[in-house]
Amino acid sequence: MTKELERILPLVQKPARYTGGEYRAVVKDKETVDFRFALCFPDTYEIGMSNLGVRILYGVMNRMEGVWCERAFAPWGDMEEQMRAHNIPLWGLESGDPLQEFDIIGFSLGYEMAYTNVLNMMDLAGLEVRRENRLDTWPLIVAGGTCCYNPEPLADFVDVFSLGEGEDVTVEMINVCRRGKKENWSKNRLLQELSKVPGLYIPSMVDVTYGEDGTIAALTPSEGVELPILKRVVSDMNTSYFPTDTIVPSTEVVHDRVTLELFRGCIRGCRFCQAGYAYRPVRAKDPKVALEQGIAACKDSGYQEMTLSSLSTSDYRPLVELCDGLLDYCKPRDIGLSLPSLRADNFSMSLMQRMQEVRKSGLTFAPEAGTQRLRDAINKNVTEEDLMQSCRTAFSGGWTSVKLYFMLGLPTETDEDVLGIAELAKKVVQCGKAYAANPRRVHVTVSTACFVPKPHTAFQWEAQVDMDEYMRRVTLLRENMRDRSISYNWHDPDTSFLEAVFSRGDRRLGRAIEEAWRRGAKFDSWSEYFDLNRWLETFQDCGIDPHFYANRVRKDDEAFPWEVTSTGVTRAFLARERKQAYAAVITPDCRHQCSGCGANRFCKGGVCDA
Amino acid sequence: MPKDRLLFEKTGRARYISHLDLMRTFQRAFLRADIPIKHTEGFNPHPFISIALPLSLGFSSACEILEFGLLEGTNHADVPAKLNAVLPEGVVARACYPGERSLKELAALEYAIHLEFDSDPQGLIAAWSSAMSRESWVIEKKSKKAKSGTTTLDIAPLIKGFNFTEVENNGIELTCTVSAQNPGLNPNVMVNALTEEFPEWKLSFVTYHRGRALDKDGKEFR
Repeated sequence: MTKELERILPLVQKPARYTGGEYRAVVKDKETVDFRFALCFPDTYEIGMSNLGVRILYGVMNRMEGVWCERAFAPWGDMEEQMRAHNIPLWGLESGDPLQEFDIIGFSLGYEMAYTNVLNMMDLAGLEVRRENRLDTWPLIVAGGTCCYNPEPLADFVDVFSLGEGEDVTVEMINVCRRGKKENWSKNRLLQELSKVPGLYIPSMVDVTYGEDGTIAALTPSEGVELPILKRVVSDMNTSYFPTDTIVPSTEVVHDRVTLELFRGCIRGCRFCQAGYAYRPVRAKDPKVALEQGIAACKDSGYQEMTLSSLSTSDYRPLVELCDGLLDYCKPRDIGLSLPSLRADNFSMSLMQRMQEVRKSGLTFAPEAGTQRLRDAINKNVTEEDLMQSCRTAFSGGWTSVKLYFMLGLPTETDEDVLGIAELAKKVVQCGKAYAANPRRVHVTVSTACFVPKPHTAFQWEAQVDMDEYMRRVTLLRENMRDRSISYNWHDPDTSFLEAVFSRGDRRLGRAIEEAWRRGAKFDSWSEYFDLNRWLETFQDCGIDPHFYANRVRKDDEAFPWEVTSTGVTRAFLARERKQAYAAVITPDCRHQCSGCGANRFCKGGVCDA
Repeated sequence: MPKDRLLFEKTGRARYISHLDLMRTFQRAFLRADIPIKHTEGFNPHPFISIALPLSLGFSSACEILEFGLLEGTNHADVPAKLNAVLPEGVVARACYPGERSLKELAALEYAIHLEFDSDPQGLIAAWSSAMSRESWVIEKKSKKAKSGTTTLDIAPLIKGFNFTEVENNGIELTCTVSAQNPGLNPNVMVNALTEEFPEWKLSFVTYHRGRALDKDGKEFR
């Protein structure tokens, strides 16, 4: 730790965020290292250290000989103030060296509201935020993560985007860069060579033109580059790297436990869900491998809690078998097992019993919509009877409270659908009173969020309802759901609106992101910092209409900025799904029938193992 | 409950691990090291661990004492090496042994306090020395219990001994032995009172290191 840092740490809250030195943090001898990567997470330490992707990439890179990957997180406001006052540039947690000395600075982009933090971290590192102003080849600014499925809003700032799963492409990218470093390539030459690596998108090598109506006229790649850039996937979950000897933070983080990944992809095809489309095809881990990894991770970390992670855990075929294997190990050691992402249509008694074995955790179901018609329209494929059955199981099994998640503002939603949420919640309460051991303690928590149409989904053409309309629906629901046994939380629509702007924005938004950041925007996902008016004024001053991005229904054949990338799922399939939504016709899940989404191109022999 | 003790150091980056976080860190470290220890009873059993006289955040120490109950199957002598293999940087186990004396006998703590000033602190040693040698020295202390939010405490009898040394860069090393408990004196309370009383010397930086734990006779307490 440097003397300067030592002097400011007593002045800030939660200094353990900034020290490094945790168990399993990787410290290498600089003499043996020829390439340094700063893995940056544009949010606090507590959030970033909860991210499985960060842990995977940290392990993948540090297993490479001669490569040292360190971490950096966004400093909280009090720390930033001290850093700027004392001229301390952002550093890598492991070595304490300034980020400028690194070869690659890579950002993990999981949430649009972290974009201003990306700029702020570059600035704290002493780098120009705009890529055209960074004339030196190194450090190269790269970004990966789900947000990169629409990289365009950050196209002005980032040199290289990595699409899809990073286990393999990161290694390939680093190897090209090492060659470039050795041979002293210019930045142009380096980008040229990187453009040949599948899955890497170089925004400087695509020219975007716009039509009179403001929509994209053409996306023109430089010679030798072919659009769209197809995402990368890991083909075998059994052999790909999984971190069982990962950092154990010395201070409490959000997900302070072992995360055991079971499978990637989702068989369901909910029409609003970007993850459901973007992570296709489904690739499961062998339960024997998962069991070994889970036990190894518990042993290595000393964690007393494990969570089974995937997009829809109860769709993991050998789930009960795996749970039993894990419980054999966990129960005598008081290690709790939690299973998030359970579906209301296959939550069984046997599963419930296993969840209760060590410690009982909360129970949350996400019907997403209040009526069957709307649930069919979004292809949620959960019936009211499914939900009631699951609730009966839960209440008779000892739970007294259940959380229900919904979205408001889904395409085709009417007031009837909104009121349907109240009806459903009341039925769950009645079910609880009938089946729970202590009926008076029955409680249902309803949460609603404002729907954000996402790129690469069936709803990528749709408009988001405006904020006033969302609040009208919230009020309607609230007034019709007054019950002592029900509490209602609703998400503030302000951030949902900005998410809608950025998730389907184009590179013209870069100016607004930079300007908002210069006016003080950062940590936009934190209410302590978020200021909608600052953003609205910035948009106005930049001559940008945010409603053009958030609240406009796109034409069927409109070219989209995010079509520089491809998830492997075809636009034709998404368009078909959208039509089915309007007809409230469901599409069966991938196990029952292949609906030809296009993601089978990633599978050997073209057949998915859903 | 028969108790075992672990004597450990907390230095470097680990200084910023809070008391609660350090307890969690040790609970996990025992599991990682595969050293079975006694658990609390009740609905939600967890490894029983307690650290005597919590250290303030940012202080370093060479003499922290952790109490726990070793289950059969592990020798005391093996514990430090096993733990050190799995502890975060800066937390170092030095010795493990059955606790023989009550923790109440831990009477005093010797601190090494490093002080740096904006300019040459000429005359400070004389002024501070005489202040620290007063018969009575009543200071106001923040209190959670008192209605006014503050309470008064005579810290003079809590200061057992001290020694000043001048060092380079306008620095002073103050070695100070203070009462450990009932009541104890946190040396930063004393230093804050001194800097307030003598504003002519502007303190720019200070570190605290807990060097030795002592019994009432001034002998090392373990």
